[in-house]
Amino acid sequence: MSADATILAPVRSRPDIRRLSLSIARPLISIGTVFLVWEVAARAGWINAFLFPPPSAIAATLWQELLSGELLQHIGRSLYRLLTGMALAVVFGTLIGIAIGMTAWGRAIFKPLISAFMPVPTLAWTPVLLLLVGINDRTTIIVVFIAAAFEVIYTVVSGIEGMSVRLFWVARSMGASRQQIFWKIILPGIMPYLITGIRLGSGYAWRALIAAEMLAASSYGLGFMIFDASEYMTMEVIYGGILLIAIFGYVIENVIVGRLEAATVEKWGVQVAR
Amino acid sequence: MLANLATTPFPRMANAKPKIVADKVRMSFGRVNAIEDVTCTIGEQEFVSIIGPSGCGKSTFLYLIAGFEKSSGGTISVNGTTVTRPGPDRGVVFQEFVLFPWRTVLRNITLGLEIQKVPRREAEERARKWIRLTGLSGFEDAYPATLSGGMKQRVAIARALTYEPEVLLLDEPFGALDVQTKNYMIRDLQNLWIEANKTIVMVTHSVEEAVLMADRVLVFGARPSSIVADVRIDLPHPRTVDDRRLREYQAEVTAVLSAEVDRSMSLERAHPA
Ligand SMILES: Nc1ncnc2c1ncn2[C@@H]1O[C@H](COP(=O)(O)OP(=O)(O)OP(=O)(O)O)[C@@H](O)[C@H]1O
Ligand SMILES: [Mg+2]
Repeated sequence: MSADATILAPVRSRPDIRRLSLSIARPLISIGTVFLVWEVAARAGWINAFLFPPPSAIAATLWQELLSGELLQHIGRSLYRLLTGMALAVVFGTLIGIAIGMTAWGRAIFKPLISAFMPVPTLAWTPVLLLLVGINDRTTIIVVFIAAAFEVIYTVVSGIEGMSVRLFWVARSMGASRQQIFWKIILPGIMPYLITGIRLGSGYAWRALIAAEMLAASSYGLGFMIFDASEYMTMEVIYGGILLIAIFGYVIENVIVGRLEAATVEKWGVQVAR
Repeated sequence: MLANLATTPFPRMANAKPKIVADKVRMSFGRVNAIEDVTCTIGEQEFVSIIGPSGCGKSTFLYLIAGFEKSSGGTISVNGTTVTRPGPDRGVVFQEFVLFPWRTVLRNITLGLEIQKVPRREAEERARKWIRLTGLSGFEDAYPATLSGGMKQRVAIARALTYEPEVLLLDEPFGALDVQTKNYMIRDLQNLWIEANKTIVMVTHSVEEAVLMADRVLVFGARPSSIVADVRIDLPHPRTVDDRRLREYQAEVTAVLSAEVDRSMSLERAHPA
């Protein structure tokens, strides 16, 4: 259960409200304390204010970048790459996962390939992609795709393995065609697992994207922003970028996927072993 | 619906057209020899009940008729055609219900019609009848995870009945029901059978259920099983439990069955699986 689902649930009684506000307040307190100590330490000169600019200065820089429109470009470009790569990973990962889970040829073709390439860190592909595709969005999108696809394939395969063969029997005894079995049985059947795959995959993909943007983005993207700032040693931008990466990472993994979960798994009352 | 049906013809008889023919059917799973040699003919519109010790291969036999699995030997034919795969002419109610967790009660029940491309409105109309008869009214929009075992079983029964297969294969369809609900369902299933002229094969553990509902009771022996008794229940439908002749049939079947259960238990002890 994500924090988001707790928010969506109807408020029944006062203790619920208290528990909810506590669950929000606790992490804020711990993060806030760190920032506060940092702020005081930087201002008092206990730490190097160039290497560790106070959070207030980081916030001011971010605000300026936002006003200039630059920041939105960086964020927008990163999200565009992430979402495009993720969409490809979900579509192809699901199809490959189903082929592995349901067919002998799928297992024969894809299983060895996946076992061989899964341990390769996604970033190791970047130099190859740079040569093949060039410095452009396509390279970073493919990196996102690779980072997420393995996780999606893996969870889809275990989703199919977790489905009772009797579900297929019931559908076939009703005369279901292959297409009908795909749309009405397999897809909804693997959905709880697929969502887990998307959750984990999007986390990996986000990290890989930021790194790839440092290596292979010609312009824009949060990773590029940080990399570019390090050339000019603007520490505020670097820290601001890190902060935004953390925030967006959290939102993508928990809030967006949490919505998906609430619309499917939680509605159906299905449990998925993680 | 047909509770006021005063009398009905005598049990549909042996001279009926054969619907399901099993010829020397064998089935083994690796080293486990589940079914040794089952040969029988089930007539058109006959209601046949299968009873036997636990683990003797009753469900397996039903799955073979349904075409889910391939037998290790022998043939089964339905309507004169050898069974090679499942088909919408044979509806199955599983011992473990097998509902689709992502579909509501209503959508589980209309699935068969949906697959056959029946328009949604009509499908829901036809489902309503069985939702009402199985006492599921008010639960149409519930998801299976929120239902009790008995309710799940009723959804499974309604789902198989709604798309109207010619042959109904029921694997202990009342196992999870309380006595009261079970009695209702037994009555409705009997009425359905009388009205709709279905061929029904029902696996059960209850001799009383078997003799009350079926034209014939097939007793399966201990594993590796074959049919050790084929008892025709020569009484008109609908029957009542307090009929003296029904009691006699019940005693007869029980005697054969107990002998087989004893044999099965001693075999198990001698050669634990
Ligand atoms: N898929 C399978 N793989 C291996 N063995 C199986 C399989 N299906 C059934 N068996 C074995 O075949 C035998 C018959 O099983 P089956 O489920 O048909 O029995 P049953 O008569 O329906 O029992 P019950 O009354 O307990 O439901 C059992 O010993 C079982 O362990
Ligand atoms: Mg069984």
